[in-house]
Amino acid sequence: MRIKIIRLMAYGFFILLIVELIHVQMISHRYYFDLSRDNRIRVVPLEGRRGNVFDRNGIILAENRPSFNVSVIPQEIKNESEFFDFLAEALQVSASSLQKRFQARKFAPFAPVLLMEDISRKTAIALEENRFHFPGLIIEEGFRRNYPFGDLYAHVLGYVGKADRLNLEKLKEYGYTAQNTVGKSGVEEYYDSYLRGGVGGLQIEVNSRGQQIRMLSLKSPSAGQDLQLTLDHRIQQIAAQLLSGRQGAIIVMDLDNGEILSLLSSPAFDPNVFSRPGMTQADAGYMFSNPSSPLLNRAISGQYPPGSVFKVIVSLAGLETEKIKPETTFFCPGYHPLGEGQFRCSHIHGDQDLSQAIAHSCNVYFFYAGSLVGAELMQRYARMLGLGYPTYIDLPYESSGHIPSPIERKLSRHQGWYKGDTFNMAIGQGEVLATPLQLIRMMATVANEGREVHPHVIRSIGAEAVHKYAAKNFIHLKQQNFQLVLEGLKSTVKLPTGTAHLLDLDGMAVSGKTGTAQSSGNRDNHAWFVGFAQSEKNRIVFCVFLEFGGSSLNAVEISRDLLLRLQQEAIL
Amino acid sequence: MNKRLSRKIWIHTILIMAFGLLSLYSAAFNNNRVSQQAFFDQLLFAGIALALMYVLGRSDYRKFYDVAYVLFALNIFLLLVVHLGGRHALGARRWIEWGGLSFQPSELTKLSLILMLGRYFAHRRPSFSFDFFSTTSLIWWNLIYPFLLVLLPLLLVFKQPDLGTAILLFGIFFIMLFISGLEYKYFLALLSFVLACLPLFWKLLKPYQKDRFLVFLNPNIDPLGAGYTIIQSKIAIGSGGLLGKGWLAGTQSQLNFLPERHTDFIFSVIGEEWGLLGTLVLIYGYFMIIQTGLTIAEQIKDNFGTLVSIGIVAIFLLQVFINIGMVLGLCPVVGITLPFVSYGRTSFLVFAVMMGFLLNLSKKRTIF
Repeated sequence: MRIKIIRLMAYGFFILLIVELIHVQMISHRYYFDLSRDNRIRVVPLEGRRGNVFDRNGIILAENRPSFNVSVIPQEIKNESEFFDFLAEALQVSASSLQKRFQARKFAPFAPVLLMEDISRKTAIALEENRFHFPGLIIEEGFRRNYPFGDLYAHVLGYVGKADRLNLEKLKEYGYTAQNTVGKSGVEEYYDSYLRGGVGGLQIEVNSRGQQIRMLSLKSPSAGQDLQLTLDHRIQQIAAQLLSGRQGAIIVMDLDNGEILSLLSSPAFDPNVFSRPGMTQADAGYMFSNPSSPLLNRAISGQYPPGSVFKVIVSLAGLETEKIKPETTFFCPGYHPLGEGQFRCSHIHGDQDLSQAIAHSCNVYFFYAGSLVGAELMQRYARMLGLGYPTYIDLPYESSGHIPSPIERKLSRHQGWYKGDTFNMAIGQGEVLATPLQLIRMMATVANEGREVHPHVIRSIGAEAVHKYAAKNFIHLKQQNFQLVLEGLKSTVKLPTGTAHLLDLDGMAVSGKTGTAQSSGNRDNHAWFVGFAQSEKNRIVFCVFLEFGGSSLNAVEISRDLLLRLQQEAIL
Repeated sequence: MNKRLSRKIWIHTILIMAFGLLSLYSAAFNNNRVSQQAFFDQLLFAGIALALMYVLGRSDYRKFYDVAYVLFALNIFLLLVVHLGGRHALGARRWIEWGGLSFQPSELTKLSLILMLGRYFAHRRPSFSFDFFSTTSLIWWNLIYPFLLVLLPLLLVFKQPDLGTAILLFGIFFIMLFISGLEYKYFLALLSFVLACLPLFWKLLKPYQKDRFLVFLNPNIDPLGAGYTIIQSKIAIGSGGLLGKGWLAGTQSQLNFLPERHTDFIFSVIGEEWGLLGTLVLIYGYFMIIQTGLTIAEQIKDNFGTLVSIGIVAIFLLQVFINIGMVLGLCPVVGITLPFVSYGRTSFLVFAVMMGFLLNLSKKRTIF
């Protein structure tokens, strides 16, 4: 009887086993089969080579250099102390720090632990030779971004890094993962989709230690496309020399087609720092907490009061609205009274017509002219000439500047607009803000008599030239008005009393407008010179901006050096 | 009749052994942790085992009745020897080295315990109780004394530590006690006593043993540590499907994803390479041996014979169920081998002796 109970128990046990076996091996077979396949098949993503970047003459500005990482498989280390002593000697770091890193990063006996990134080729070869004695050692070869000219192209090219959360939010849909290298600013970011290589992969069969048993399939990643920029390495170098030790920006652009020949912001940073493992404390401190904010691209992202450069717009607005005529003169006693105070001019200019007022940068003339035109119309013409909007240059993080007006102030801040505000606006002070790039484009439009070019840095992608920036916009103002303003801009240089007479150089015709803008706070003024130069060889438009650079004369001096050097280099 | 029973035992034992050898060959194939030597070792022991079965099948099993207590005492002595100075391997002290051969007394304990309890209970049938035995003394003689006797080797084995064998020993005692005819109320009392002691028992467990129980409840709490084996073995079995991936072609086993695949987890190799078909054939083999053992137990008119055959059936049933159950994730991992399939020489021989007993018992129905 009791044996029967045992028999029943045996039946029960076996039925339970069979039911579970049927469940696992038949019903859930697919699930477990997939798991077993995932177990043994690894897909190793391969990133294609990132495209190189060249200047307009084919000089390499950004490239990829081979780099080597050292990893180790924990369970294959036979003698831990011997292994770490050997590694420490080869890598010239302390064994205890390596061991600490190993302990911190280890999570499974078969998973490789990354010990050291970006070791030299020589060290890598030395380690590779000893792999026989230390079978767990893995030397991985990869590529890292390299910028041969260091900080020279920092702001134009930007830098690369592993995709972070913000990048991924934007780019996830395009197949980016956290393992991808992604451009973080400048050309690297703007043209990332062209530069990045196609993702390929290696399908390998591995054993439980993650060791490769055989390769199952390979999809080679495609290389990214090379870019050729419009930049000219020679000009960039000259600009960098002129700006070294100063805070500011220099832009040089082709007057005819908007090709940026040089774009420099100072101080700069070394983008290679971001491609190297482990940013040092000093580097990070310089990049992120230095008061001169080296990461800021002053040429396109910095917004500053344009000062007298804005008078070009006021002149055009006055002529166009017929509030002033070229022969109209205003008397400059050195100041303009307003209420109890007075608005100062730089000199006592006496009677000034338009051309003289531009050449001498007479504030009083423009107080009158600005009052006649009015703030609303000044804003309208400023916007017509591209201020207050981004230029849509092919670089990220461009600022749009700001052009104030009474109505806008009323709406946004519930404050009134006073006569003094109009005066300030007429001389590009107060709330008027513009980027150096906007001003250079505005100057180009005036120089081209209304033909507006689209600033850009791209010349060709892969083998294809980029044509989309060739299209030009027309600003419909009267030709003669442009010519009248151009007359004034020419006098700035040509008149011995002109504010930029220093630029009256042989072999080229230079025109332009100086600017000295009060900065906020108690610091020095900003110094501007925005102008264009024509020679038999070339027509360029350029902007020299010195943040807290003092008098505009400083900017003019740098402009003079710039033009002379360009002449020496036979560019102008 | 008895010829038919003994033939069944022979056929199914050989079936299981053959299956086991094929699987062991595959488990040790290209394995840098287990050498191919394990297979040849097992092959040799399979030959010895069959010879042993043949010899034991022809001898008089009453001889074992005579040596039961001596063997048990000897076994206790061996366990003490292990306890004091056995070979240390895999974190446990389970082996005795003797002239190049290693030996696991805890495996032998299964056999000696069955014989000892068989002889003890053979003379104590509470249903035949006479009035002059008081109830109290019956409980002492039929429950408490044998329990204490079992506790002695059980604790020694538990200390090794070998939780699996300790559980098995208790299982044998429990089933044989049941067959001995103890009244149900005392039986239930023992059961509740053991259940009440479980929390105490939990405290005695080593940390890794506790981990195994926790992992059994949820393997995913430690997928790369304690839960790794169970997850990988289930993947292996499930991925085998209906017909398996083929002999020597299991990716889980051949690529080293299965730890302990030549011993406790060999069933997962079978499940992966032979599929449901293979596992069912193997289970059928075990089932037939257990059924035959129970039939033999029913036919014998001798208490000792019945008890011994039930003990053998019990150990078989428990080992098969717990081993396959643990590989499938139905039971916690306690380190119990699959009879005649897992690699292990002592275990192999002990099971061969048990089969020899069954063969022997199948022939002699009554002894007077």
